[in-house]
Amino acid sequence: MLATLLLALVQQPAAAPAPPPPPALDVGAVAPDFALPGATRFGTLKNPVRLSDYKGKTVVLAFFFKARTRG
Amino acid sequence: MNAYRDQYAQLFKNGKNVVLIAISADVDTALASWARDAEYPFLFASDTGSAVGKAYGAFHPQYKVDNRNLFVVGPDGKIAYRATPFREIDPTAYTELSAAIGKLVPADSTAR
Repeated sequence: MLATLLLALVQQPAAAPAPPPPPALDVGAVAPDFALPGATRFGTLKNPVRLSDYKGKTVVLAFFFKARTRG
Repeated sequence: MNAYRDQYAQLFKNGKNVVLIAISADVDTALASWARDAEYPFLFASDTGSAVGKAYGAFHPQYKVDNRNLFVVGPDGKIAYRATPFREIDPTAYTELSAAIGKLVPADSTAR
């Protein structure tokens, strides 16, 4: 039984091929600029949303799964 | 997202010197219609190729969506605070976020 357990433990890494998510950017790192289509409750925006447009302000970037889901 | 809306005044100072951008892989029209229906007072960005999610390490390769990672970028353009992931049901997550924003945006700036 012990041998079976040990075998299972040894085999576990090979049975979990899911790639790890990339590491999140650290505090102190320069925030990469971006230009993305933007939207507000009044509709889609004509001009892209650029992080660099808000230099000198505090910007909170909140990533989320999907529209119309909780959280 | 509802918590951000309901605490917009306290957490994000009603957008005065603080810009909240919610980012997902949804198309911009889906984000706009959701924002309209739920009356979200902040900005959304459509990262359909997930390039920005990848750059910030928010993209989840297995599920092909962004994790609920949050970054506070200071006026100097550097990351001043991160919550990876932001625990939206945990009250301390909001206390920490509020403190991080408070360090960057002086309390009296809302009067400007």
